Amino acid sequence: MKSDNLALSLLCAALPLALLAALASGPVAVDLGAALREGWRGDSSDAVILWQLRLPRALLAILVGAALGLGGAAMQGMLRNPLAEPALLGVSSGAALAAILLLYYGSALRAGWGAAWQSGWLLPALAIAGAFCAVACVWLLAGRGASASRLVLAGVAINAFLSALMALALNYAPSMFAMQEIVFWLLGSLANRGWDQLLLALPFVLVGGLLLYCARNYLRALSLGEASAASLGFRGHRYPLLVLLGIASAVGAAVAVAGTIGFVGLVVPHLMRPLVNQDPGRLLWSSALAGALLLLLADIVVINFVGAQELRIGAVTAFIGAPFFFWLIVSARRGQQL
Amino acid sequence: MKKALLLTLLLFAQPVTAYDRIASLNLCLDQVLLNWVAPEKIASVTWLSANEHYRSAPLPQHVQLNRGQAEELLRLQPDLILVGQYGAQRAARRLRDLGMNVVSIPDAYSLAQLLEQLGALESTLGQLPPLQRQKRQLEELLARPVPTDKASALILSANNITYGGGMLEHQLLERAGFDNLAAARGIEQLGRVSLEEVIAMRPDLLVFYGGEQDFAVAHLAARHPVLKNYIDSGRTYTLPAELGFCPALVVADVLQQLTDKRTTIFEKR
Repeated sequence: MKSDNLALSLLCAALPLALLAALASGPVAVDLGAALREGWRGDSSDAVILWQLRLPRALLAILVGAALGLGGAAMQGMLRNPLAEPALLGVSSGAALAAILLLYYGSALRAGWGAAWQSGWLLPALAIAGAFCAVACVWLLAGRGASASRLVLAGVAINAFLSALMALALNYAPSMFAMQEIVFWLLGSLANRGWDQLLLALPFVLVGGLLLYCARNYLRALSLGEASAASLGFRGHRYPLLVLLGIASAVGAAVAVAGTIGFVGLVVPHLMRPLVNQDPGRLLWSSALAGALLLLLADIVVINFVGAQELRIGAVTAFIGAPFFFWLIVSARRGQQL
Repeated sequence: MKKALLLTLLLFAQPVTAYDRIASLNLCLDQVLLNWVAPEKIASVTWLSANEHYRSAPLPQHVQLNRGQAEELLRLQPDLILVGQYGAQRAARRLRDLGMNVVSIPDAYSLAQLLEQLGALESTLGQLPPLQRQKRQLEELLARPVPTDKASALILSANNITYGGGMLEHQLLERAGFDNLAAARGIEQLGRVSLEEVIAMRPDLLVFYGGEQDFAVAHLAARHPVLKNYIDSGRTYTLPAELGFCPALVVADVLQQLTDKRTTIFEKR
C-alpha cells in the first residue's frame, strides 16, 4: 500500500518534470530562464516561443491525455471490460466524425449559427454529441447485460463503421488536403495548437471530469455487479447516463481539438489499477494523471523526432499500446488475471 | 470613316487568335485559354478546370471537359490542341498521328522558363492583348536592377511547407529584393518550417500561399494566433494559388506586388 502511494506520488512529481522537458523541447534553442523572466507579455522570440507555442501545446497534451485516461477508466469501469476504451468503442470516432462534418461540410450550419461558430463552442459541442451517439449505439447494439466479448464486438463494429464514414466524408471534402487530413483525424496531432484550442476544450473536459466524479460511487458499486449496484441504490438509467455524458464530454472535446489518439484510454487504467487497489473511483483520477503524463511524454518524442514528416502522436501511443496488448496475451496464457 | 475606326478599335479590344476551336490537355493551358482567349473560340478544356479551386475565369457552357483522351477531342474537331511538356503525351501523339494540329507549350518552373512559355504562347495563339501585357510587364520588371538593400522573407505554406532555393517562389522573392530565409538555411526546393522557427527567424515579410478557403488542418499553422503580430502590422503577403499551377497568369503581378511590399517595409523602417 505504501509502495503504491509512493508510485502515485512519483507520478505526481513526474508531471511537472515532464512539463519542463516539454517546454525545453523544440526545433529552436530557447533560453527558458530569460523567457520566463520576460513573462507572458514578452515580445522576444524566446518569450513568444515559450508562452505562445510550447506552453499551450504542453498543457493541451496534459488536458487531452487526462481526458483520454479518465474516459478509459470510466468506460472500463462501467462496461466492466478490460478492453473497453474510448477509441476502441467508437467514442473518439463518433466525435471525430461530427467534427469532420462540421468543419468540412458545415458551411450552411456555420452561417446559420454564426455567433456560436465564432465563439467556438459549436465544434466541441457537436463532437461531444457525436461521441455520445457512438457510445449509445455500442450500448444499444450490445444489449443490456452484454458479455465482454459482445460489447467489444459491438464497439469494434461501430468504430469500423464510423472510421469508414470519416474516410468517406474526408474523401469528398472540398479540400485539397482531404486525404491527408484523414491521417490527422485517425492518428491525432498537437502540432500548431495554441491557447485557443486549449481554452476551447478545457471547460468541456472539466465538466466531463465533474460528471464522472459524481458517478464514482456508482462505478465502485458496479464493480460488485449490476444486481449489487442496484441493491445499493444505483438503479435506473441516471447513473449510466451520467457516466456516458461525462465520457462523451471529456473525450469528445479532446478529439475535437487533437484528433483521435488511441491506446491511452486502454493502457493507462490497466497500469494504474494495481496502484489504487482496484478502486474504480480512485482509478479515475490516477488514470487522468497517468494519461496526462503519458501523452505529454509521447508529445516530447514527437517534438524531438527528426524526419521529413511530422511523427503522429497516435503512432507513438500505438507503439506503447501494441506491446501492452502483447503483454496482455502473454499474461492470459500464463493464466494470470488481466 | 468613323465606322472603320470603331471597327478597328473593337478588333484590338477583343482577344484575337487565328484559331476558332482551341482545345487544351493541360490544366495551366486551360487557364490561359479561359482567361485570355475569347470564350467562343474554346472547344475543350480538361476536367480539372471544372474545379473552382483552379479556375479564376468563368467556364463557358459550351466548353467540353476532357480527361486527356484522344477520342474525346477527335469528335470535337479542334483546329488547335495545346498540350504541356509532360502530361497527356500518349493522347498528343495519337492526335498528331491522326493529323490534328497539336502544339506543345513548354512548362515553366523559373522566371526564364516563364518568358519562354509566354513567348511560345504568343507565337501559337497570336497577339492576345492580356498575354502581351503580361509578357511586357514581366520583361520590364526583370530588366530593372535587383535591389541591393534587402529585406528578409519566409514562405509558410500549408502543412508548414516552405520554399527554398531552386523554386520559382524563391526567385520571385530574390528579384523583388528579399532574402529568402529558407534558402539561407540551406533548404533546396521544398522544406518544412515549424512555427517556432518562423518566430525565431523573424522575417520582415511572412508569405502565405493562398487559394484554399475551406477548413483544413493543414492551415492551422498559418492561422495560429502567434502570427497575429505579422497580420496586424501588414507584414504578410499571400501568393495567389495560380502561382502554383499556372504562374504565367499572375507572375508579373506577383513580382510587382512583392516589390511594392518591400518598398513599404523599408518606408516603415
